[in-house]
Amino acid sequence: MSIDLAPVLDELNERSRERGSDVQGALMTLVVFFEDAAIGELARDRIHTLASKHPARVIVLDGTLGPDVARMEAGDWIELGAKDCSADTLRSAIAALRLPEAPLVLLWIAPGIGDDPRFATLSAAVQTVVYNSSLVDSGHEALCELVEYVEHHPRLPLADIAYLRLAPWQESIAIFFDGKDVQELFDLCRVEIACGSEPEGFYLLGWLASRLQWKPCSEHSLLTRRGNEIEFEIRREGEPRRISCVALSSAHSKFVAEVDKKAETIQLSVTGSSKHPRRYRAISNPGIAALLERAILWGQNDRVFADSLSAAGEILACGRR
Amino acid sequence: MPDDKLATATRSTGDGAAVNPLREGLVSDRITNPCSAVFFGASGDLFKRMLLPAVYAMRLNGTLPTDFALVGFARTAYDNDGFRAYCRKQLELFMPEGQKPQGELWDDFARRISYVTADFNDTRHFTALKDRLAENDEQLGTAGNHLFYLATPPPVFPEIIKHLKRSGLEKSDTGWTRVVVEKPFGTDLESARVLQSAIEAVFPENEIYRIDHYLGKEPVQDILALRFANTIFEPIWNRNYVQNVQITSAESLGVELRGAYYDHAGALRDMIQNHVINLLALVAMEAPISSAADDIRDEKYKVLAAITPSAHAAVFSMSARGQYGPGTIDGHGVKGYREEPDVAPDSNTETFAAVKFYIENWRWAGVPFYLRSGKRLSRKVSEIAVTFKPIPHRFYGESTDRIEPDVLVIKIEPDEGISLRFEAKIPGPKEHVRSVYMDFNYGTGFGVQSPPAYERLIGDVMLGDQTLFTRWDAVERAWEIVTPILEVWQNTKDFSFPNYAAGSQGPESAHALFPDWRHL
Repeated sequence: MSIDLAPVLDELNERSRERGSDVQGALMTLVVFFEDAAIGELARDRIHTLASKHPARVIVLDGTLGPDVARMEAGDWIELGAKDCSADTLRSAIAALRLPEAPLVLLWIAPGIGDDPRFATLSAAVQTVVYNSSLVDSGHEALCELVEYVEHHPRLPLADIAYLRLAPWQESIAIFFDGKDVQELFDLCRVEIACGSEPEGFYLLGWLASRLQWKPCSEHSLLTRRGNEIEFEIRREGEPRRISCVALSSAHSKFVAEVDKKAETIQLSVTGSSKHPRRYRAISNPGIAALLERAILWGQNDRVFADSLSAAGEILACGRR
Repeated sequence: MPDDKLATATRSTGDGAAVNPLREGLVSDRITNPCSAVFFGASGDLFKRMLLPAVYAMRLNGTLPTDFALVGFARTAYDNDGFRAYCRKQLELFMPEGQKPQGELWDDFARRISYVTADFNDTRHFTALKDRLAENDEQLGTAGNHLFYLATPPPVFPEIIKHLKRSGLEKSDTGWTRVVVEKPFGTDLESARVLQSAIEAVFPENEIYRIDHYLGKEPVQDILALRFANTIFEPIWNRNYVQNVQITSAESLGVELRGAYYDHAGALRDMIQNHVINLLALVAMEAPISSAADDIRDEKYKVLAAITPSAHAAVFSMSARGQYGPGTIDGHGVKGYREEPDVAPDSNTETFAAVKFYIENWRWAGVPFYLRSGKRLSRKVSEIAVTFKPIPHRFYGESTDRIEPDVLVIKIEPDEGISLRFEAKIPGPKEHVRSVYMDFNYGTGFGVQSPPAYERLIGDVMLGDQTLFTRWDAVERAWEIVTPILEVWQNTKDFSFPNYAAGSQGPESAHALFPDWRHL
């Protein structure tokens, strides 16, 4: 199946002529791929927000429509039907339509990346790949696929929205262990995470495990470098793609970070020997457009993310054995 | 000690605290210490408009330590609850929509606010402050870290410093002590030295944070990134390629309600001596050996040390001054300076200052740096324009074409960004050229809002990062540079005042100093 790009190229040329010598800046060419109409609608809405802040050429590869769809929309926005198109067809279409000097960003929102030659071809051609594992699958299959793909493609310039969403939780948990309380980190014996989708929960646990050098030893436990066992539980609870509570227990203290009813703040409480007055931290939920923005600006090549993903993969693999 | 505890304990921050391994890679990867922040002058305008909103915004975006306390210290009588209500009211007024105080976050923030009604000359009130800080350390976990922010009128600074010492607040047994001094740092060289003597008798330099909020603005910080994170600019950033550098800080506002202060200050003291000279230092400095605060500040100082202050006799050929008269701005008639509240009707104070400096070093010898700042000019604009030398041999364009020099403009306000003007051939058979512009705008370039300057700077104080604060040697040198001009201007009444209309480009004398100012 091929895509007839002529109407789009003609329109681009026409617009270029109309623009004359006015200089137009653009930060990137953003390629968006999806195969689910509902996800596509959501994605389009968020990309509009993003593109209104970052001048970009947007190329939507809509996997629900056939390749007879190829048109320019208002703004620098191109819609292409991508159903049944081969990897090479898509690659050549993007090569023809991308802005020549601006970086190429791929936002891929579809399952099955491990077996999909289109993902392999497109992701190899771009500067940044943005994935959203918990939007693709609220269980952990999409995350497992991602882990496996990254194992075989370690140089993939990847960012996962599900991981970026954790930032306020990472900050909140770190607060527990600043200053003298840092030693409590090494006495932890239990981790409980309540979340509406599993990728966020495994990412958070993977982040803790990679920072503290814990290794999985069974379906529900990890081992510290000293050989102490840490039980963990990831509970499906609350809004999809959101964490609602993280509780960390040591022999003498319990550290609980919990979202309030309005989902505006994370309440931090510590009971036991490290008891501390209750503290609060704003969640300042940035929304998907802002997360995309972070992914594009800062998300890729983040070593802490790579370590967290790898650790999450080890934990998931241990659970499957 | 177990292995992993040992590993952690042996990695520590500069102040000896163990590193939290969870911090690596986070937005707040440097530990923000718990602390009490004391705001002297907490009933004043600066606190309510700038400082309090900055601190609350830090709370909202998570950059404020969760173990934090805010103590107001001022003459106006409040009890704790009264001051909390005052703070809430100001935040309602000055925080943007969506960030107004509400919910548990505000309740927690409010619980951490307290107030000491005080006479700055009375040690007993500083003793009460000491007790309050001890309570905060005990009850709010502020760990003996104390930030003293002097947001009072400058004449009160020495009194506050003296009483901090007398009451034993100049150091903390368990944490750090840092003092933030608002500008202006002195009103002339002599008074700056007196103030410095008073402060350095109590606090060492590494605990003094002389704040100039201009330096907290993102585009100002980007000057160094532009120069030293790129290879294409630095090779041409010198006398071989640069014709001149213009630094402008223009406002369309008048003195508003600051007439009493401004009439004793003027544009040279209020803007050139601090903001504008700081910009000059950033534009002209050599590359520091690292991003450490003192490496950067060393290089900035060297620039100022290479500027020879004018001889008194040369002041009029190296500077221009002006004072605005009545005029029109944005279609509205506005008063002249001498008609403003609290301004003397025969005032000799300049509301516009322009100066020419030369930096006498290998890089900049012979390149004029033109600095100007003024009120009630045609529009608000802050920018640095680097004009490059003309082409050495012309073969493009027709003889009537004007080939403009290339100009790189670092825009600070109101549109933050960078613009490059260069020549391009007009399409067609003829060899005409004209100027075109490439524009980078922070707003669209990154889509992220630059944090307000005070937010960034208060955070830096809490983190102990002095990079964006002015060191005493630079403050003193800046005063030395402007002192001859101040003295001549003070001792010579300008009978042409008012010499520019509000809403205009400034006085004619500025154009006599330099005819090629960029249009405002």
